[in-house]
Amino acid sequence: MSKNDPSHEFIENPFSLSRREFIAIGGVIIALLALPAIWIRSALINRNHHIQARTKGLYQDDATAKIRLSHENQAVMKLYKDFAGKPLSPVSEELLHTKYVNRMKALS
Amino acid sequence: MNQETKTYRKGEIPGIIAINARECKGCDACKRFCPTGAITGMFGTTHRVDVDRCISCGQCLINCPFGAPYETVDPVDEVAAKLADKHVTVVGIIAPAVRVAIGEPFGMPAGSLVTGKMYSAMKKAGFVILDNNFAADLTIMEEGTEFIQRARHALFGEKAEHGGGIGPLPQFTSCCPAWVRFVETNYPALIPNLSSAKSPQQMAGAVAKTYGAAQVFNVAPESVYTVGIMPCTAKKFEASRPEFQSAWHFTKEKGGSAPSAPYPDIDAVLTTRDLARLLKKMKINLAAENDAEGGTLFAEYTGAGTIFGNTGGVMEAALRTAWVVLTGTPLSKIEFTAVRGLKGVKSAAVTLRDRKYGKEVTVKVAVVHDIRANIRPIVEEVMAGRSPYHFIEVMNCPGGCINGGGQPVCDTGSSWIGRVLPSFAWS
Repeated sequence: MSKNDPSHEFIENPFSLSRREFIAIGGVIIALLALPAIWIRSALINRNHHIQARTKGLYQDDATAKIRLSHENQAVMKLYKDFAGKPLSPVSEELLHTKYVNRMKALS
Repeated sequence: MNQETKTYRKGEIPGIIAINARECKGCDACKRFCPTGAITGMFGTTHRVDVDRCISCGQCLINCPFGAPYETVDPVDEVAAKLADKHVTVVGIIAPAVRVAIGEPFGMPAGSLVTGKMYSAMKKAGFVILDNNFAADLTIMEEGTEFIQRARHALFGEKAEHGGGIGPLPQFTSCCPAWVRFVETNYPALIPNLSSAKSPQQMAGAVAKTYGAAQVFNVAPESVYTVGIMPCTAKKFEASRPEFQSAWHFTKEKGGSAPSAPYPDIDAVLTTRDLARLLKKMKINLAAENDAEGGTLFAEYTGAGTIFGNTGGVMEAALRTAWVVLTGTPLSKIEFTAVRGLKGVKSAAVTLRDRKYGKEVTVKVAVVHDIRANIRPIVEEVMAGRSPYHFIEVMNCPGGCINGGGQPVCDTGSSWIGRVLPSFAWS
C-alpha cells in the first residue's frame, strides 16, 4: 500500500450545506423569483389608479351637491323662462341642436 | 399640414394629433390605444397618424411611453392675449372632468376635487366663469326630452309636436365629439340614432353669445370670447365644425348687430394641460388659491351635471330627470349604481309608469366606454335591428372624460403597458 494511494485520502466535500442553510437559501431564491410577479400585480392594480381617483372625485362632487337633478337647476329654468321657452322649442332647436354629416363617402 | 384630407369639411381643423418623428421609437404602444387604427407604420419604424381615420381622441398622446404624439393646435398665447384685452369678455367654459385633474400639474394627488381653487385661479387670470356643468344640465333637458319623445313615439305612436322628424331608437348620446366623428366616418347609417342635441360645450358657447351676452354679461355678442376648457383634444376639432356658428346666425336673424364675417360659438379650446400651462405662464399657483364661488348665473350646477365626466354619468343624469318627468314622482334612490364602474359595457333596465299614457314601460339602457374594445358588437347589433336597448351612452375614452386625451399625463397610469410591451416584438 503506497502512501499516495488516493483511496486512502479523505477529502471533505467542499460544498456542504446544513438543513437550515438550505432552507434559508431556498427562501431567498423563491423571494427573488416572486418579485417580478409582485411588480406585475401591483402595476395591474395601479393601472387604473388615476382613472378611479378622478371618478371618485366627480361622484364625491355629486354626493355633496345641494341639488342633484338637472331639471331642478334654477339657472337652467331661468334660461328657459327668459329665453328659450322649453326643451325642443324653436329657439332650442336652433341654438342647442345640430345635424351630422356622412363622412364615409369621402373615404370610399 | 399640406396633406390631402378627405373626411374634413372646409374650416375644420384636420389632424389635431400628430406624431413627432424624432421622439417616436416605433414601439406600437399607441396602436393598442387607437380606437380607429389610424396609426400607420411598421413596428420599429416611425409612426404617422392617418388624419382621415383619426377621431382626435388623444388616447395615443396620453398613453405613449415616449411622449411622441402632440397637439398641433396650441391656443394658449391667443387666449393669454384675449385675457389681457380689457374690451373682451373671456368666458371660461369648464368641463366637469377638469376639476378633478387640474390639481395634478400643481402637485396635488390624482383625483383631488378643486372646483373652488380652479374658479379662484381662473378669475385671477381674467376669465368669467361659465361652468360647463350648467350646460350639461341644459343638455339633459334637451337630450332627455328628445329621448322621451322618441320613446313615446316608438312605444305609443306619439306624433311630433313640431315639424321636425323623430329619430329612431336606440338613441345614442352625442356629447363625445370623438364618438360623433367615429359614427360619421365608420357607421353613417347610425346618424339618425344620434341625439340631435349639441354637446355641452357647443350649447354653452351658443348660450353665452346670445342670452349670456344680452342678459348676463351685458355686452355685445362679438366681444364675448368663449374658451372651452376641456379634458379632450377632439373638442378642438368639434369647435371648428362650420355649423357651430349658430349664435351669429341667430343674432343676425333677430336683427341684432352682427359683423359680416360669422364668428364661431366657441372661439378657442384649451385642454386641461393647456390651462395648466396658461396658469403657470401667468404665475398663478392653483394649489395655493383659496376656494371661490363662480359668481355668475352660469356657474350654478347640479350633481347630475358634474358626473358627465364619468362613464355612465350622462346616462345616470338622464335617468334621474327622465324618471321624474315620466312618472311625476320623486326618486327614492338618486344613484343608479348599475351604470357606474369600469366594466366595458354596462346595462340596466328601469321599469316605470308613464303617467301620460298610464302604462308601465321598461327602459333598457346601455353604457359603453373605450370604443376601441367595446363598441363594435353594440353597433353591429343596432345595425342588424336586434338591439334590445332604447338609450345608449357612448364615450370614447376608457373611464370617460376623466381619462380624456387632454388630461394631464399620469406616469403611473395606463401608460405602464407601453413601457413593458416594446420589449416584446410580437405584441
